[in-house]
Formats: sequence, C-alpha cells, structure tokens
Amino acid sequence: MVGDAAANRTSMLRTDLKYEIKKLLVSELNLAGRDPATLDDDAPLFGESGAGGPNGLGLDSLDALQVAMLMEERFGVRVPEGDEARPIFRSVSSLAEFVEFARGARGKR
Amino acid sequence: MIAVTGLGAVTALGGSAVETWERLLRGDRAFREISLFAADGYRSRIVGEVAGVVSRQTGGDISRTSEIGLAAAREALECAGLARDVVGTSVPWAGLRVGLVMGGSTAGMFETESILSVLIRPEGTVDPVIREQALCRMLSHPLSAPTDRLARELGPFARVRSLSSACSSGSNAIIVGAAWLELDLVDAVVCGAADALCKVTMSGFHALSALDPNGARPFDKNRKGLTLGEGAGFLVLERVEAARTRGARVICTLRGWASRSEAHHITNPDASGQAPARAIEAALTRAGFTVADIDYVNAHGTGTPLNDPMETTALARVFGDDLSRVPVSSCKGQIGHTLAAAGAIEATLTAMSIDKGEVPPTGGLVDPDPACSLHHVRTAGKRTIRAALSNSFGFGGMDSVLLFGHALAAVSANGQVPWQPARRRVVITRVATLTPAGLLDGVEVSRLPLLPPSGEAIDADVLGGLDADRARRLDRTSRIATVVARKALAGVVAEDAGVILGSAFGAVDATSAFMRRLAEKGPRLVSPADFPSLVPSSPAGHVSIYLGLKGPAMVVADLATSGECAVTHGFELVRAGEMDRAVVVAVEERSVIVEQVLSVLFGAPTSGATTARREGAAAILLSSEQAARASGSPILAEIEDVVAWAGDEANPGQRTLARPPEAGSVVVVGAPNDAVDEYIARSSWAGCPRVVCSDHAGSHEAVGGIAVAVASAMIARGEATSALCVGSARGSGYALLLREPLG
Repeated sequence: MVGDAAANRTSMLRTDLKYEIKKLLVSELNLAGRDPATLDDDAPLFGESGAGGPNGLGLDSLDALQVAMLMEERFGVRVPEGDEARPIFRSVSSLAEFVEFARGARGKR
Repeated sequence: MIAVTGLGAVTALGGSAVETWERLLRGDRAFREISLFAADGYRSRIVGEVAGVVSRQTGGDISRTSEIGLAAAREALECAGLARDVVGTSVPWAGLRVGLVMGGSTAGMFETESILSVLIRPEGTVDPVIREQALCRMLSHPLSAPTDRLARELGPFARVRSLSSACSSGSNAIIVGAAWLELDLVDAVVCGAADALCKVTMSGFHALSALDPNGARPFDKNRKGLTLGEGAGFLVLERVEAARTRGARVICTLRGWASRSEAHHITNPDASGQAPARAIEAALTRAGFTVADIDYVNAHGTGTPLNDPMETTALARVFGDDLSRVPVSSCKGQIGHTLAAAGAIEATLTAMSIDKGEVPPTGGLVDPDPACSLHHVRTAGKRTIRAALSNSFGFGGMDSVLLFGHALAAVSANGQVPWQPARRRVVITRVATLTPAGLLDGVEVSRLPLLPPSGEAIDADVLGGLDADRARRLDRTSRIATVVARKALAGVVAEDAGVILGSAFGAVDATSAFMRRLAEKGPRLVSPADFPSLVPSSPAGHVSIYLGLKGPAMVVADLATSGECAVTHGFELVRAGEMDRAVVVAVEERSVIVEQVLSVLFGAPTSGATTARREGAAAILLSSEQAARASGSPILAEIEDVVAWAGDEANPGQRTLARPPEAGSVVVVGAPNDAVDEYIARSSWAGCPRVVCSDHAGSHEAVGGIAVAVASAMIARGEATSALCVGSARGSGYALLLREPLG
C-alpha cells in the first residue's frame, strides 16, 4: 500500500512536470494556436509536421537546441549532445523522464 | 567585360592581401584564443582575430569593423592606382565616377553590445549621464555606419550603398558593383565587406552549437563546426577598356555572378544544394562558360556538419564527373569564418590564385569526409587557372557565386555566348502599405488614411494574420515585412522574384534583450532561436522563406532614407537584369532605444507630436516591363529614372533629373526636411503639388517606401501623370521619377 502511494505521487509529479514542459514548449517556441492541455504526452516532437502522426509538433534542429537550453534554464538539467540526446527529445514523456532521472542522479551524488 | 584592378584584405593571417596570401599558401592557421573579451563558458575560445587594429580616432560612428574595412579598402584603391587627390586637378578621382558598395553584418556591435545590455533596463535604473553617453556611442551601430565612415575618409563617391545578406554580403557587394558598372552608373567601384568579432556572434554561434572547439576543419570527417574570424576584403572593379585606357593592370576579370535564395530555413542549409547549384549555373551562363572552363573552386567550406556535404552535393549537381578534375579548397580553416566579409576576402584570394597561378590549400583538413568527395588541396600548388568560382552562402539561404577569369583568356574554350548587358525598363505592378492606420494594397494605398490619434504601433490583429506555425520564428520586423509583402503579392506565385528589404536599424531592441540575457545568465543560456533575428539580413530571409521567393535576397540600409534606398536598389538590380522581379520591402519597427538615440543625437520630437516616430512598411513589386507584359500583369507605374547622390560634394551635376514635370505631375515626399525642400526648390519640380506621407504614415526610416507606393497608386488612379519621390538626409539622397506606363 505504501508503495502504491509513492508510485501515485511519482505519477502525479510526473503529470505536473509534463504539463510544465508542454507550457514551456508552447510559449518559448511560439507554438501559437497549440494548447498545452491538449498536447499528446507521447507524440513525436521532431520531424516534418504531421510526419509523426496528427499530433506531432514538427520541430526541427534549431528547436532542439532551444529546448536543451530551456531544460537547463528551467529545470537545471544539462541535456547531453549528439546521438545521446535523440531518445530524450522523442516526446514530452521522454523529456519529463530525463528531467526526473537527471534530478534524481544529482540528488544521489 | 569587367576587370579587377585592385585587391585589399585584412585577415587574421595579415594586415594586407599580399601578407594574407603568402601565409595562406604556407598553410598557416591563424587561430588563437580571443583577446578582445573574456570568452569563458563558450564552446570555443579560438578565433581568427586581426592583430593590431589601431584607430587614430574613436567615438562617433567609428568601430573595429569600420577601421578594418578602411584598411582593406585603402589597399584596394592603392593597388588599383586610383587616387582621390590627383596632382594638377581639384576634381576628385580626376573626374572618374567612383562608387562604394559595402557589405556587413556586425557593424559597430563590438562597440555597442555592452551599451545595449544597459539600455534595455528601465529608465531611472541607470545613471542618466551614463545613459546619454551610451546613447551617443550607438552611432556606430547601424549597418550603414561603417560605410559612412569609409565614404567620409576615402570619398567623395558618386554612389554609395550598404547591404547585408549575412555570410554572402561580400559577394553581393561585388555583384552590385558589377551591376553599377553595367548600368554605367560609375566608372570604377570599390566593393567589399567588413565584419569584426563580437560577443553577439560568438555567443550566437556557440548557442547554435556551431563552433568547433579545436578550430575549423573544413571537409574533414571530424569537423565539428566553424571558427569565427574577422576581417575585410575589397576589390576595385572597372570596365576592361577603362582600365587599359587608365594604364591600370588587369589582375583578372569578373566574368559571371549570380545570387539565389533557398527559401528553406533561417539557419540550416537545404541539403539538396539546389539553390547554390542554380547560382553556379547562372554564373556560368552569364560568363558564357561551362564547367570545363573552371580550374578551381574557392568553397564556402565553413566546416559545419551541414554546410560541407551540402556544398559538395551542389558542386556535384553542376560539375558531374568533371568535379574530380577541379581542385576545391576553403580558406576558413586558416582565417576563420569572417561572416559578412567572407565573400569579399575569398573573392580577393580567388583573384590572387588566378593571377599568381597557384591554388591555396584547405587548412586543418586531415581526414576527408566521404560525404565531401572533392578534389581536395592539401598543400598549395602551382596551376594555370583559366577561371575560378568563389562560393558564399548566408543565413536564411542567401547563396551567391562569383566567377573570375584570367586577365588574358578572352573567351570560353567551349564558345558559349556571354550574357549581354542591357538596361531594362522597370515597372511597378503591385503595392501595399502597412501603418498604424491599417493594411492597404493596390490603388487604395493613395487614400492616405489618417493615423489613429492613440497608439503608435501596428494593430496586433493585422500582424497575427500569418500561418501560426510557419510564422513562429518571425520577429516583429520580419512579421511586419512578411505581412505587407504577402498583401502586395496577393497570391501571385513569384518563385523567381528576389527580396530587397530596406531597414535602417534592424532589431535593436531584440539585440539589447539578447545582450542583457548574455550578461545576466551567461553563454550557456543564450537563446539559439533568438540569435538569427539579430542578423541584419534576417527579415529578407524570412520574407523569402515564408513567401517562397528564390531570387537574390538582401537588406540595404541608409538611415532616414532606407526606404528610398531599397526601391533604388531593387530598381538597379531589375534594370541590370539581375532578376526579372523583385519584392521591395521598406520596414521599420518601433524601438524604444532607437527613439532615445534619435532624440539625444538629433533632438527628434518625442511621442505625442504629430510627427512622432511610428512604425510602418511598404511593399512594392518591381518587374522588368517585359516580364510584366509576358505574365499579363497590370502595370501601376513605370520607374523612369532614379538619381542617387552621396556626400555633399560628390558630382552635384548627377543630381539633376533628365526631364522637367508636365501637367499633372506631383511631388511625393516620405518625410520632409530641409534637404528635401532644398532639392525640390532647386529642381524644375518646385511648382508641383506636394503630398507628404509622414502626415499619414508617421515618421520613420521606411516612409520613403510608402511614398513610392502612394505615387504608384496615384498614377494608376489617374490622379497624377508622373511623380517625383525625394528622400534626403545627411548630404545624401534619392530622387525617383515615376510615370504612367507606356501603351
């Protein structure tokens, strides 16, 4: 039971974090006309608009640099460069997972 | 045919073209840690910095950029044996009409960026004395400031122009110089570009992850980006016959040139290489050459992961199997990427390679990338070069190519017919204006609605009318420019059209915000997405990308007459056949900092007065008469003649228009001032009815563009038979004569 409560809390925190990331993407990348509340957690962020399904954001490499900078500014985490960054930038969910992981790793040090 | 008779360069390798050339051949890499400012936290501190930049004067519009440019331009004029003061005559340049075209992007940024980080702070939080001193130093900031400094020191010049197309600015300055010669506007022209290092470009390219920590290695498998450099390059061009008459040595010839836009992305090149390939093909066609005539390519070769394979693809598209025969090298592994100056410096070095019969190497290249399969040059080698290309590609996809030929090789081995210069009639087919009073197009433009008494800004709803996703990277100036250009085009497909955009100050407030962020948060948190908007050519790039316009694209600036300057520039390039159609945009955004600077320096009226500085824009679609008739496009007016002058003493006779007014002629003025009044009073047009646009459109640097749009609409409506549009400031000016289209 205790474990369930902890898992619940983690899930709530992650939901909040994902919403915060969505708000950040919409405001800082000027995604006018997008509502953070209706962005899909798992839709692909990058690639041709529409290529990653109807909910894909169609971001490009310049956005990736901007998102990496924003992650550092807002959440204090450094996104690695190059191929390592690819899975992190996949979706809002993967960004949230990375922020939690990076914060946790820092807490344990 | 156009001769190159003078060369000058200042680079990290040396203070002259000769010294740069010698060290370039030796393979020296002039990279070292930057000394101009602390560069802690940057991806790389290594730069190509010019040693020993000394100015006898400081302050005013003098900057590191202007002084580097001055040295290179002086060398080029001396090399050409062109002297302003000639023994035995008091006439400057012994009566020759000499022009100056200068490209740039950073201008006085190095001098003003620390000031800008202060100016963005609210008034009252900065010592007023410090604030006023800071505002006075802003004179060096405009794109045109280094050009004005050169014109003052080296002139008087018959014609002067400042332009930017980011990293192809230097090449475009040479293209404009060539067009002036073909139009017989000048007898000789000194053309080139200068850019100095500064924190804005260092932090911007750092944020874009584009700096190689170990120094640029163009075409290498392990390249990680570019190394920033600084410098200047200038060429003296004149007609071959004129050079021979004067007894000047012809170093080589400028045989072909072309500029094309990718209309793809504000920072990333289009990997297909289509636009550069089209530019190379157009340059070859103009010269009457084929790839078989080309013996060397001086590549753009920045060393970024994306540029080098793209450039290889572009060359392969044009050269095919011949590519393996042709040596290709980049100078950027030795002098760095000098941004706006790159095209001019590399044109200088390409000219020297032809003249000396020697090919310079690609410094830093160790292990060639298989994706850059080219005939690389590892060490300098002797070679007869009949003709060579110099490539330059800029932010926003502005790609320019120059084709130089040997002084003696008169014709192509393959017998193609070179392009014949012609002066085309230029007409205005569409217009639109955007002011705080609204967005108008076509003949409606001449209704001249009154400005709303409150609100100096353009209505937000009007600016919101673009596709949200595609317009999300547009800063305010780019958004205003795109809205007005789109309105003027009204859905006309104009893929071939160029974009000529006039803007005096660019994004000053955005630069200020960028610098404040850098000062407060450090280089790691600089915004990569904000950086491209600070490049002066960026609004032209955005218009080209949003509207899919793939002709030549560039920004011109001339302070209060930037609007008239843009129309003049577009007119010249269409007249000379550089493009069939040009979307000319004049745009100025409201800027708290610009208004403060103007009020401190010139005592400009503050807001509230009827002539308060507002923001506004005009778009004018210019077309060759032939292209307009072929497409069945209605013609509003024809531009019959343009007179441009620079500096008080420069050839006053040239300011006279060819003809007097007739019944129904009007004078349309953007913003009146003493210089404008004096010009009109001295002309035969003094008695004509006068329309003043600033009464309706507000006072700003783009209002001259609005004047041309209004004049076109008045003629199209039958309210005028012809119109004279005059703009003048600080001793220079433009007079544009519009009339009813023939037939």
